[in-house]
Amino acid sequence: MSSSASFMERLGFRKASGVGEAGWGRTLFVAVIAFIYFIPVLFIIFTAIKPQNLALSVPPTLSPTSFFGLIPDQYVFSPTLENFGSVFSRSMTTGGAPEDTGFDRYFFNSIFISSVSVGLALIIGTLAAFGFSRYPLKGNDTYLFIILTTRMLPAIVVIIPIILMFRTVGLSGSYIGIILLYTAFNLAFTIWMMKSFFDELSLDVEDAARIDGSSEVKVFFKICLPQVVAGLAATFVFGLILTWNEFLFALLLSGADTRTVPVAMNQAVSSGGRGTDWTLLAAIETLFLIPVFLVTFFLQNHLLRGVTFGTVKR
Amino acid sequence: MTASARQALRLSGISKSYGNVRALSNLSFDVPEGRFFVLFGPSSVGKTTALRTIAGLVPTDSGRLEIFGSDMTTAPIAGRGVSMVFQSFALYPHLTVYENFAYPLREEKVAREEIDRRVKETAAMLKLTPRLERKPGTLSGGEQQRVALGRSLIRRPKILLLDEPLTNLDAKLRHDMRAELKRLHRQLGMTIVYATPDELEALSMGEEIAVMRDGAVVQRGTPDELYEQPLDTYVAGKIGSPHMNMIKATVSADMASFETPLGKLKTSRKVKTGTAGEAALLGIRPSDLKIAAKGEHAIASTIHLIEPLGDVTVVSVDAGGETLRMVLPEASATAMKPGDALPVAIDTTKIHIFRAASGQAMT
Repeated sequence: MSSSASFMERLGFRKASGVGEAGWGRTLFVAVIAFIYFIPVLFIIFTAIKPQNLALSVPPTLSPTSFFGLIPDQYVFSPTLENFGSVFSRSMTTGGAPEDTGFDRYFFNSIFISSVSVGLALIIGTLAAFGFSRYPLKGNDTYLFIILTTRMLPAIVVIIPIILMFRTVGLSGSYIGIILLYTAFNLAFTIWMMKSFFDELSLDVEDAARIDGSSEVKVFFKICLPQVVAGLAATFVFGLILTWNEFLFALLLSGADTRTVPVAMNQAVSSGGRGTDWTLLAAIETLFLIPVFLVTFFLQNHLLRGVTFGTVKR
Repeated sequence: MTASARQALRLSGISKSYGNVRALSNLSFDVPEGRFFVLFGPSSVGKTTALRTIAGLVPTDSGRLEIFGSDMTTAPIAGRGVSMVFQSFALYPHLTVYENFAYPLREEKVAREEIDRRVKETAAMLKLTPRLERKPGTLSGGEQQRVALGRSLIRRPKILLLDEPLTNLDAKLRHDMRAELKRLHRQLGMTIVYATPDELEALSMGEEIAVMRDGAVVQRGTPDELYEQPLDTYVAGKIGSPHMNMIKATVSADMASFETPLGKLKTSRKVKTGTAGEAALLGIRPSDLKIAAKGEHAIASTIHLIEPLGDVTVVSVDAGGETLRMVLPEASATAMKPGDALPVAIDTTKIHIFRAASGQAMT
């Protein structure tokens, strides 16, 4: 044990002694592990900028640059942005004129449908969560459990009755239909998340606001809500990721005009009988990553920050 | 403290239960305007519920609450002219100190310039001016306490409720804040109702103290009255440190002498309501016991514990099977050690007499 301990120390591992910044050794070790997890994403991004004919080449081309000679030339490809162009416009038949693929519409659909439905779920769910937290019903926990059960069944189990219901009331293929569905789909998660954030708040702070002359509505908007901004951000991001990636409901309930990117992606690569166009698929996927990446990136401070930390002694 | 002072607050027969738990039971007391009034009692005796009832945060089950003569039993919180400092401080964590101060004024729609003026004035009074742009989470406990106080004072409430405001502070800070609170009371002159389980805070700050038990007031009076004339063993045991010695006794026919395990004791106070042969408890303050001088009537005892507290020493002695605590000047206790014999004299003019069955005073 002693020899392995000294080996670890030579690598830069420090003995555990309270909390401190990790040494270079540890940081490097974690970076390597993180890189291994990142390889699939990197592979997709590199495939997206590969010339189409190199997608399935043997040996595979691995990198757009040789990293100063680190990677032998035979594994290096010259990057291109052509694939991104073909996402939106390409010829559908060999030698035919480029046609509009409709992907601009599908990207708009994905952004519109997921942000509106997650936003709606956040508004309704936050109000409901506040109610469950502050004005509990008789059998409050039972209601909460019932709400959670809506997320226990896989989509495939409930999809047939939902399709029939949507057909009957004429919601199939409409924006309002898929938005309502995703809103309901996100509500359970939102209510549970936000309730736990509201439960954490000090009731004394709300009473202090009441004594300072605030109405119940003001207590909610001016005192409670600002304290759970981190919770709102986290719930929004998680809901957005779930909705953004959802495939099955979108496949069966969206129409030609309301199709979302996951559905369109599936149809773009599997139609035409010419085999799968891997570089095109990778380009769509890369574009598909960007919006969620940006939202998460800009909300990361809120995701990490606990705004109420240390202000209330219990 | 004149008799003609207006009543700032009057509670008559207020009761409140949470499910099966009775928090307030027929609570009645009144507070004259400008008084520093202390609600004193151990935790879960109903102090906090009493304050929350006055503030309007808790609806009462029965009884009547008057604030400056008007019935406020069911009045909305905002119009009561009452503000409150919570044990947890309850600062708005997402707002700066400035905004914490400004919040109650904004709710009252005070003009912007006036808000700015009063926030700065309050900050200066509480020495918080350099902290105005900070969030509460970055302040020390004492600073957070002062912010909580400032936020309550800035509205210039007629009545200020303080719920164990010093409990979350360390001992040194608690001492400083006691003086600070008394200074603010003198300076601003508003009515204060202060709840505390701490006897030292109650005695040192309260102009008048109401001792609470099981959701009702047992006895109220000035610190001296409570100390000199406790109405029952509960009050006698709560006020005064170290606690009063209680000795079992039997009332003799002359109503002023008692058979006790320490021998026969004659007190200068007389039993007013009682019969010969009745069981009683004699309460003797540790400070009313001293080392007997030569020739003085003394009780033989053996020292069993010595607790030096700096300028005084608490000495526990065994006498006639009873344990007595006495407070001696540090100098006279330096040579003592457990096991030593000590002749003890009792100041018989200061003995308190209680009925053993009920604990009520018999004098």
